[in-house]
Amino acid sequence: MYAIEVNHISKHFGKLVALNNISFSVAEGETFGFLGPNGAGKTTTIRILTGITVPTGGDAKIFGKDIVNETIAARRTMGIVHETSNIYTDLSAWQNLMFSAQLYDIGKAVREKRGRDLLELFGLWERKDDKTSGFSKGMKRRLTLAMGLINEPRLVFLDEPTSGLDVQSNLIIRDVIRDFNARGVTVFLTTHNIEEANLTCDRVAIINKGMIAAIDSPEKLKKTIQSVQSVEVALDPVPAHTEDGLRQIATVSEVRKLGDKFRLITEDPPAVISGVMAYAKAQDTRVISVNTYGPSLEDVFIKLTGLEVRHHGVKTVD
Amino acid sequence: MTDQAEWFRQLRVELIAAWAIAKKDMLIYYLKPNIIVSGMLFPLFMFLAFAVGRPGTPSVMIPGLIAITILFSASSIEPVSIPLERRMKTFDRLISAPVSLHAVVLGESLSGFLYSIGIAAVPFIAGIIIFNTPVINAAPLIIGVLLTSFCFATMGTLFASYPTESPGDIMSMLNVVRLPLIFISGIFIPLGQIPAIAQLLTYISPLTYGNDLIHAAYSGTTYFSPVVDIAMLLVFILIFQFAANRLYKKFNE
Ligand SMILES: Nc1ncnc2c1ncn2[C@@H]1O[C@H](COP(=O)(O)OP(=O)(O)OP(=O)(O)O)[C@@H](O)[C@H]1O
Ligand SMILES: [Mg+2]
Repeated sequence: MYAIEVNHISKHFGKLVALNNISFSVAEGETFGFLGPNGAGKTTTIRILTGITVPTGGDAKIFGKDIVNETIAARRTMGIVHETSNIYTDLSAWQNLMFSAQLYDIGKAVREKRGRDLLELFGLWERKDDKTSGFSKGMKRRLTLAMGLINEPRLVFLDEPTSGLDVQSNLIIRDVIRDFNARGVTVFLTTHNIEEANLTCDRVAIINKGMIAAIDSPEKLKKTIQSVQSVEVALDPVPAHTEDGLRQIATVSEVRKLGDKFRLITEDPPAVISGVMAYAKAQDTRVISVNTYGPSLEDVFIKLTGLEVRHHGVKTVD
Repeated sequence: MTDQAEWFRQLRVELIAAWAIAKKDMLIYYLKPNIIVSGMLFPLFMFLAFAVGRPGTPSVMIPGLIAITILFSASSIEPVSIPLERRMKTFDRLISAPVSLHAVVLGESLSGFLYSIGIAAVPFIAGIIIFNTPVINAAPLIIGVLLTSFCFATMGTLFASYPTESPGDIMSMLNVVRLPLIFISGIFIPLGQIPAIAQLLTYISPLTYGNDLIHAAYSGTTYFSPVVDIAMLLVFILIFQFAANRLYKKFNE
């Protein structure tokens, strides 16, 4: 049985088509990433899969339970971390956590034990009795995560779990997801952060304008775009018109200047390296470093979502 | 597990969740300034505005004041809390919990219900201490206050289903209904003296039946029979509960 099975789901808001006939499935125990730019339909997908909103067409099953007709049974297995840190700012961290536990019918002894464990895990135990209106954005996010995990779900929906978090909190989340993976918990996460998807997900779906452009493991997705491998070289001294010179090398499709280095996009890195050496010799300069890079998930993403390539190595796409 | 055992298990879960929602509302909203204004001061001023200058003994005025207080206070929590929760997105938590919308509607209504009982105690106690107005029969008072409070709390939750993030939107819709109710429910004009055409209107006001019961506690007589009053209040509660459930579902689509 799949943890999530989506069949031809569409969602229309008036004339706007937010999701256009998407289908995919997520195996039990898998960490599945939904990667896409703003407005792609990531949150809408989660809202449908958690039964908050109903699809215009198609159907979805959570562990075999239809989300529209067996909503409550399907929800019992899931934990949800919403896109916005939706906590009650008039209540303390502890009151927030206990409230969400009660919505999931978790007995007092168990919820108090789990509540303590989660607050400790997310570094909020010392602040447990403070009203959360005074919490920082990252603290609110961490509390939202704790609230989503209080029912020890078999399937967790994380809508941009790390947005607004610092490096340290990011690492906690990554550990939590890894721990889920070890315990066989299924994770469905959305993100714009390609590196996060690359590091945490078994499989990634790239969604754009309500349609799924590709679904595969990060490595296999990268293999589909061999044409965007690259060679990075540094020359000393740098001859005049180097960019133009390097562009003449066979199979180089593009040259980007990155600081004191040049990145040559190609589908044949070994041939380009020979070409660079020949160029250096002709220009009477030295090659002081050479690195080759495979395609990144970012390249796949840019290619599939048709975003303009941004020069100078901008790493995020939002 | 048998179907029946499963059904009872889910019922228990729903009630626990409803109670948790009610408790959360009490902690957060009972002390919000706009709720104090709309739930406590508003009914008092409404009453004074209409009652001042009218002849009336305390034993007629006190039950009327109790009824008006309930009308306004019971339906003053959810029309504020639910739009604010939509704005803060905490409402998504309630509608994504593993319970039915009935539990959410019930939980929200419970907080208005308890609030209203607390507020209705004020004119009741004032009646005894200040105006020396004795209660002849406690049973219709207790039943009347409980059912009327629950009925208007559920009505408040029903109106709050309108998908807005601004409490003012719901309050103004609610007032379009609440204000006329005062005049067609036999509070200032006894039911027997209302003109025949308006008489029909009194039948569709839940406040008519609530007021009739509460009145009986002080006068000893009801206009309708107590059974009719109780049955009608229960019918209104069910209508509001199911309509609310329906609308919350509809507006999420
Ligand atoms: N309730 C709604 N009413 C109207 N349009 C909506 C509604 N919810 C979403 N949309 C539209 O559906 C599209 C997809 O939105 P969605 O929130 O799913 O995007 P997303 O991928 O989560 O984006 P982001 O990365 O910004 O969170 C957008 O065009 C959005 O405007
Ligand atoms: Mg989103």
